[in-house]
Amino acid sequence: MARAQSVVEVEKVEQRRRWWEFWRRFSRNKLAVVGLVVVFTMFFTGIFAPWLAPYSYTDQNLDAVEQMPSLAHPLGTDELGRDQLSRVIWGARTAVIIAPTATFFGVSLGLLFGLLAGYYRGWVETVIMRLADILFAFPGILLAILIAATVQGRIEAWLKGFEALEGFVKAGFAQVLVVIVALSAVGWPGMARLVRGQVLSLREEQFVEAAWAIGARPWRVIRHHILPNAMAPIVVSISMSMGGAIVAEAGLSFMGIGIRPPTPSWGALIIDNYSFWRSPAAPVLLWLPALIVGAMVAAFNFVGDGLNEALSPG
Amino acid sequence: MALLEIKGLKTRFFTEDGVVHAVNGISYDLEEGGTLGIVGESGCGKTVSVLSVMRLIPEPPGKIVGGEVLFEGRDILKMDPDDVRKVRGNRIAMVFQDPMTSLNPVLTIGRQIDEALELHMGMDKHQARQRTIELLETVGIAEAADRADDYPHQFSGGMRQRVMIAMALSCNPRVLIADEPTTALDVTIQAQIIELVKRLREDIGMAIVWITHDLGIIAGLAERVIVMYAGYIVERASVKDLYGDPRHPYTIGLLGSLPRLDETRKRRLFSMRGLPPDLIDLKPGCPFAPRCDYVIDRCWEETPPLEPVTLGHEIACWVDVKSSQPSKPAN
Repeated sequence: MARAQSVVEVEKVEQRRRWWEFWRRFSRNKLAVVGLVVVFTMFFTGIFAPWLAPYSYTDQNLDAVEQMPSLAHPLGTDELGRDQLSRVIWGARTAVIIAPTATFFGVSLGLLFGLLAGYYRGWVETVIMRLADILFAFPGILLAILIAATVQGRIEAWLKGFEALEGFVKAGFAQVLVVIVALSAVGWPGMARLVRGQVLSLREEQFVEAAWAIGARPWRVIRHHILPNAMAPIVVSISMSMGGAIVAEAGLSFMGIGIRPPTPSWGALIIDNYSFWRSPAAPVLLWLPALIVGAMVAAFNFVGDGLNEALSPG
Repeated sequence: MALLEIKGLKTRFFTEDGVVHAVNGISYDLEEGGTLGIVGESGCGKTVSVLSVMRLIPEPPGKIVGGEVLFEGRDILKMDPDDVRKVRGNRIAMVFQDPMTSLNPVLTIGRQIDEALELHMGMDKHQARQRTIELLETVGIAEAADRADDYPHQFSGGMRQRVMIAMALSCNPRVLIADEPTTALDVTIQAQIIELVKRLREDIGMAIVWITHDLGIIAGLAERVIVMYAGYIVERASVKDLYGDPRHPYTIGLLGSLPRLDETRKRRLFSMRGLPPDLIDLKPGCPFAPRCDYVIDRCWEETPPLEPVTLGHEIACWVDVKSSQPSKPAN
């Protein structure tokens, strides 16, 4: 009969229905939708920065420094006469590169370690979780500073060894890499704890025992029976850590060990223009980048809340 | 040669509170196509004994410390993990107690049955789905083709247990181990599931190990029955002998605590005094001695071995209940 041949088709329809249901539940939370729009705007701006920015972020115009917003410079100019709008737009690109990558590596590490710890227990768990505890004992940003400050020189020196990468190094690639390494290193323990907790409770479920009883291998049990059931809190946590990564990057750049001038990042914009806090242009030069960072964090958290509501049953 | 032969199986759990003597050297065998009932109260080692057979004891804290499990002549306990996986679900399948929790909530029913087929039969997606639909029809799920794409929460308890049975049957196993599969179901559904299993036993010709604490179910289903207590087998007999002529004081107590339809006079139901022993510090001697009405001095010192009283009827007891009177010691 035709019914079995259309398994794939049925699955497609089913998938579409589930996505629709997911969206219906997500969009009940209006703040989450607003957050999603803000997040999309950031990604759009970051990805299309070269086409969106009216000027280059390094173009200096020393005849027009520290200007108030005008038609030529909608957000004014900074102390070197660089167009603030262009720098904010390019700052989005930095955020769009760093937040997802740092989150990706942090989450991947956390997922791997959490799964190993929760699944194999014993000394594997002890080693991983005590390491996570140690990392947790430090304030995250402090540890990130420590890592960034100590490995920066080495990574730059190492990258200089590859001539093909020269262009990247000049474009500030090394600093971006350092920030990603630092943020991933402090980001994984939280995820590892979350995942381990989920695995610990799921491995006792009878359907996991039933999977063993049909002769499934460990990896199959993890992939088909444990991970899908742990997905909801993981997805929510990913959204939240994106916001966290943006703040952390801004913090590192603010302290001068993250993204360095002239590469614009929202954190770097704050410190660059910090001396103008009493200038009439302060709202656009100083407050705006800070506001954007805050808005991004809020947006990611709202999205996280929305995901939480959409993914949890009931 | 028996299909499944268990010899002197011992399973322990090494916990922080001490060593739990969960299964203490039990032996039994299962013939091709035969049905064996294992009865006993909660915590007597019924489930652990069959999980040990499948090597599904979580290790640590559990460990099978002795014995042999010969399946088709090979010792499962000595197989490497890959070979054990080839037996699990394929040659020996299992149905669990609680159908509400034995299905993965995020996968469709169809996907979960397909899994065993893809694992053991090397089927592709389409073949597996065809077979899944057949299986669901076999266990009496209406509109099986449509229901295969439903999730477990869209099924009732009885239907989920049918799904679990379909999953267990998927690779035509030689042995089906059913661990209290009807305990979580209401009585009418229980009867349906038992009828289903009986029908499938006839059609497929597999051997069944049925674990339960419900003596009534065993009476209508099994040929031979094992009564377990504190990790020991205390009595083994044919169904007819066990119900008609129970010889171990524990079995007598169990049967006496059941209401019977064929009794004319009102009788007080028997209630066994005391509690099962703590399996952590099992004292030497018969584990049932503290609760036994027939207890003699020897019971406190030596653990009685399982020995035949008549042909095919064995008990582990120093006392012949036929010739002694219950002597209730002062509590």
